[in-house]
Amino acid sequence: MMENPLSDMNSDGKPVPLTTLLPGEKAKIVALGRSIRGQHHFRTMGLMEGKIVEIIATQPARGPLVINVEGTQIAIGWGIARHILIQKI
Amino acid sequence: MKKISLMGCPNVGKSVVFSRLTGVSVISSNYPGTTVDFTKGTTAIGGEKFELIDVPGTYSLAPTSKAEEVAQTMLQEGDIVIDVIDSTHLERNLYLTLEILGRKKPTIVALNLWDETKHVGIDIDVDKLEKLLDVPIVPTCAITGEGIKELASKLRDARQSKAIEPMSEEERWLKVGEIVSEVQVVHHRHHTIWERIADTTVKPITGIPIAILVILLTFLFIIVIGNLIIEYLMDPIFYNYYGPWVVGVVNSFSPDGLLHDILIGKSTIESLDFTQSLGLLTTGLYVPFSMVLPFVITFYFMLSLLEDVGYLPRLAVLVDTGLHKLGLHGSAIVPTILGFGCNVPGTLATRILETEKQRFIAVTLMAIAVPCMAQSAMIFGILGRYGMKWIFIVYCTLLMLYIFIGLLLKKIVRGESPELLLEVPPYRKPDPSTLLKKTWSKAYGFLAEAVPFVILGVFIVNLLYVSGVIGVLSTVFSPVLTTLLGLPEGAIVALIMGILRKDVAIGMLLPLGMSPQQLTIACIILTTYFPCIATFFVLLHELGIRDMLKAAGLMITVSLTVGIIMRLILIGI
Repeated sequence: MMENPLSDMNSDGKPVPLTTLLPGEKAKIVALGRSIRGQHHFRTMGLMEGKIVEIIATQPARGPLVINVEGTQIAIGWGIARHILIQKI
Repeated sequence: MKKISLMGCPNVGKSVVFSRLTGVSVISSNYPGTTVDFTKGTTAIGGEKFELIDVPGTYSLAPTSKAEEVAQTMLQEGDIVIDVIDSTHLERNLYLTLEILGRKKPTIVALNLWDETKHVGIDIDVDKLEKLLDVPIVPTCAITGEGIKELASKLRDARQSKAIEPMSEEERWLKVGEIVSEVQVVHHRHHTIWERIADTTVKPITGIPIAILVILLTFLFIIVIGNLIIEYLMDPIFYNYYGPWVVGVVNSFSPDGLLHDILIGKSTIESLDFTQSLGLLTTGLYVPFSMVLPFVITFYFMLSLLEDVGYLPRLAVLVDTGLHKLGLHGSAIVPTILGFGCNVPGTLATRILETEKQRFIAVTLMAIAVPCMAQSAMIFGILGRYGMKWIFIVYCTLLMLYIFIGLLLKKIVRGESPELLLEVPPYRKPDPSTLLKKTWSKAYGFLAEAVPFVILGVFIVNLLYVSGVIGVLSTVFSPVLTTLLGLPEGAIVALIMGILRKDVAIGMLLPLGMSPQQLTIACIILTTYFPCIATFFVLLHELGIRDMLKAAGLMITVSLTVGIIMRLILIGI
């Protein structure tokens, strides 16, 4: 899983993983992937299709991302974040 | 008596609403999942008595976790439901509300944290929401008590919703979206300067130096203030007032003999000895009150401060990558820090980790390499007099053990190590009175637990010496202690005591006249070889017998190995 095949499709608004965003960038969630605690858990934290996310910080060596969804900050492991598909805006 | 179930998502201030309604004080914390069991209380409203049940916070009634199962049962049992909602997160809270309303219990909704909606720029149309849900809705601010009276008086209006029917998960999320778009307006708001500053604590370039600074300052505060309390408060009390008094009283009815020695040891008014006399009324009280309590107070003050400000989740983010290498994730930092206070709550807090593997690793690492505050205080006390270098050696060795054993356990323990998923709450200004209350309740908890056990420990040591058992045990264990570890035979008494209480155990090292090298080795062994009895029972409960045996085997092996290595490094052959 070194390179994600979707990573070069971001120019024309196609869905890309959340992990391709840089701090300060914003995007719209288009699909939620799997998580050990299920999609339900994402939604109860405010992560839903159609929501706008902003990256607050990323950590080196594929560490967790801190994102802002409607004023709530969530820390999310890289392995989960790469299953969340977004569209850059 | 009618039963009222108080329900809601985690961290919405449910426990505060409970306190307000019943007058019972419940300690609330700033991280989710603090209510492990449910709390009951009674309240009288309009002349009628009700039983109120504080149900553990849950995001949903679908029974996928322990908390959700409990919530499910509590809902069935209650006659009336008070659903507490965090008004600043209406969307995600409404899912549970719709689930509850679908169960057709008479319900009333409290829109809690109402005052904060104005700060974050959210408008909620309460009347419209009331119509859409078809149950009474009361805006509240439990912390200040606003709206609680109205909530109580409207309790009799709680009713079954005719508007909300049972539905599927998918339909329910759609309905949530529909309702939210009708009743809530979010005003666009730019990041304030404070939020920008807050963000620097999770960005690695600035966040890591800040984290190191925070940890160093915390450590310094605990040591410096702790020592000041000892020097200017506790020691003067013990040496100038309590000591002469207690020696005088004991001498008046028992000038010498066994009873005299058991009560105050060889202390006289001219030469008070609180650390080595091993008297129940001298060492037995001096150790918990003067050597340990000051550090326990400063530790819990700092912990409560970091917790209430909201720094711990940010620390979890920064250490996540490192902890993944040990089979854990960032959230494990919270139980670990609690473990530095006392391993018992630390072990219980590992329940916030998701898998068996993570819990086993976190609990085992804590038992081996995280000394509790009582133990640390005694290490500062007896090694500090030889210089910071020795204390540094002890903690560096423990840190290395934590890392190496973690790397090893990640490889050999089967199971999953999931990824971090954690809400990072906004920074809050801590409330000084809550802070002091928390610190006091933890310090009081320590004294209630420690004083009887320390006195019992000192008493047992007296029995062991008087009966001559120590002599026999010293000879039996002398090959291991003297030959392998380079310690005096008498150190066996500390190892025996360590099973009861670690602070007493380290105190037992003082009369042995050991070199700083020997004391350092003994402190490391006493930390690692076995948990104290209170921690042992919690470990047994949390891990089960099989895993507990595995963990114990690891502790003894590690302890003996590191003891021998340290002996070779510090003393030579």
